[in-house]
Amino acid sequence: MKQNSMLAMILAGGRGSRLHDLTNKVAKPAVSYGGKYRIVDFPLSNCANSGIDVVGVLTQYESVELNSYVAAGRRWGLDSKDSGVYVLPPREKADAGLDVYRGTADAISQNIDFIDQYAPEYLLVLSGDHIYKMNYDKMLAYHKERQADATIAVIEVPLKEASRFGIMNTDGETDRITEFVEKPPVPQSNLASMGIYIFNWKLLRRLLLADMKNPESSHDFGKDIIPTLLGDDKRLFAYRFKGYWKDVGTIDSLWEANMDLLSPDNELDLSDRTWTIYTEDVTALPQYIGTEAKIQNAYITQGCIIEGEVTNSVIFTGAKVRPGAKVIDSVLMPGAVVEDGAVVVRALVANGITVGKGALVGSADSEHIELIAKRVKGAE
Amino acid sequence: MYKAFGIVNSSSKNIRVEGLEDYRPIGAFSFLGRYRVIDFPISNLSNSDIDRIQIYVQEKPRTLVSHIGTGRHYNINSKSGRLQILFSDTAKRNDIYNTDIAAYYENLECIEAMHHEYVVITPDYMVYSADFSTLIAQHIDSGADITLLYHSVDNAKEAYLNCNILNLNKQRGVLSIEPNHGNAKNRNIFMDTYIMKKDLLVDLIKKARATSSAFTLTDIINELHNDLDVRGISHRGFFASITDFQSYYDANMDLINIKTAQTLFDSEWPIYTRTNDSCPTHYYGTAEIRNSVVSNGCQVEGTIENSILGRGCIIHKGAVIKNSVVLAGAEIGEGVHVENQVVDKLAKILHVKEVVSDPALPGYIKRGDII
Repeated sequence: MKQNSMLAMILAGGRGSRLHDLTNKVAKPAVSYGGKYRIVDFPLSNCANSGIDVVGVLTQYESVELNSYVAAGRRWGLDSKDSGVYVLPPREKADAGLDVYRGTADAISQNIDFIDQYAPEYLLVLSGDHIYKMNYDKMLAYHKERQADATIAVIEVPLKEASRFGIMNTDGETDRITEFVEKPPVPQSNLASMGIYIFNWKLLRRLLLADMKNPESSHDFGKDIIPTLLGDDKRLFAYRFKGYWKDVGTIDSLWEANMDLLSPDNELDLSDRTWTIYTEDVTALPQYIGTEAKIQNAYITQGCIIEGEVTNSVIFTGAKVRPGAKVIDSVLMPGAVVEDGAVVVRALVANGITVGKGALVGSADSEHIELIAKRVKGAE
Repeated sequence: MYKAFGIVNSSSKNIRVEGLEDYRPIGAFSFLGRYRVIDFPISNLSNSDIDRIQIYVQEKPRTLVSHIGTGRHYNINSKSGRLQILFSDTAKRNDIYNTDIAAYYENLECIEAMHHEYVVITPDYMVYSADFSTLIAQHIDSGADITLLYHSVDNAKEAYLNCNILNLNKQRGVLSIEPNHGNAKNRNIFMDTYIMKKDLLVDLIKKARATSSAFTLTDIINELHNDLDVRGISHRGFFASITDFQSYYDANMDLINIKTAQTLFDSEWPIYTRTNDSCPTHYYGTAEIRNSVVSNGCQVEGTIENSILGRGCIIHKGAVIKNSVVLAGAEIGEGVHVENQVVDKLAKILHVKEVVSDPALPGYIKRGDII
């Protein structure tokens, strides 16, 4: 709390059901990405790099793996005195029964006591399932400069796609927000909310206490809190973000976000040492590349053994491509194995799944990316 | 658990790795891309439930100290365990004083303060995996005063020339410890690894000191061998002694073969190292890579064959790297041909288009050099 009197809360309770079998056992923020990372590494590393010391992670759906993953705050350097990552699943309280988080705002409301311990001046609310690099300290400076009551990060999207997002209508000149519309059929603006909010804590705290008691409320930031603030004529500003930002909601978009890393001038640039994305330190050998291997356009991490061909693909920790196997336009998640002579095309092979000898999965002209979440038997 | 503490000893006189050792002690040498040599002895101790470890450092400690840090990455209990870095500067005066005994004597207080009954001494310049808990149990069962670990080799004529050998009787009793003069193929190379009671070590340090200021631990064991029961235990699996430039190069090259690597690495016996948080390696469309070991954070546009890349290397288009060990952060320029080289950390080969050495005499490019 010493650095910038802002505390961060990461909303990480969602399932991400359109990721199908990938999120059967883990919540979406814990899904693997980019060879060695998990999605939640991005907001956590951004917090660490932005000088935020205390981060609460609100978990709910299938949270066992996520809870133990984020609890080790030292992975992101968030482990000095006065610093830490705190896992906050729903809990039973003296004055209320055990209740799940009824909405994004309710998740914060139920943890007001946690936030009060640190008495922050500002509260940063983040989503745990977006991939991007952002300096929240700059956003805070903007928030202070505008003397805002709340600031919402926005990204410009093509107008024809704007009806898929929560859209901020602004006064145009100062970027003061006049209206928030969730998925407008006829969008008036192309400024999409990134689900990143900075609030003045005292004000938000008051609103949340009222919202908790309101039987009409759905306890959601977008649907309830932001409209209330706007109704009260509070100062809300849009903070324009430029750069890579991806909400990987589907198998196709998760695949695409991985493929983006193969582009030589990809905007995310994970090799930038001035804004390192931190993750779990896995004990693994370096990459072993065999005598008959062929590798072109690939993103490969430690612990992999590549004896076959890898083209246009992202290979995660400990995955193996056996001799004669081919992996084309695909993603192999941690520990996936493609056995001798098997061919994987336009597919995403889930964690620890084996594609048996000589098997063929995916197809070059498929509309969607095939998710391989069960062992594929080899052709004998 | 086993009432033993560990000593990781640094190299003393006789051992010299040309080039690399100008910048750091052997323990801090980059090894197989992402490791440093000292990761092996410390991981062996940690995996053997020995979590009180003394590390002896002499010259140029910076890299070693920053790599070891708190030791947390070696999976050492942060409360009951401890990595202690002990310095000694006796060697500065004259190489003749540069002995293990001198370093121990300088820190005798720290050794005497250990409440463990046994001690395992393992060098920071040899690469092997060994379960010390089993070895300590064998040592106790045998009733020996000192147990020494050795590795039987059939190439002692041309390799291990800076190592000692064990002369054993049929019962694996050690008759003497001698330098390897390279006059026989088959030898039992001493792995500079000792197991004994702590009190005996303290006694030997004092006796060595009283006899000669130039005495080493092996000297005093030889001297007293009639009064001591010294036995050898044979080690199996991968073994490399990084005691000259050629052996450094060879040990790296040998481990490119995954079958060989499997004799050193075992998923049940993890070798820990410090994470660098580098991103995965990016291979571009023009990359060609075969039979190599690559660390994270590299960008590869050229050709790599039978080589090792450390973290964060940049290999430009048309560059060809063969039979080489390239350390972290090195850059190889467009069209540059590098063969049979050790390219030290952060070196850039950009202007000289051909850096090729004889396979029998690999070349060395200095740390941070631009050529």
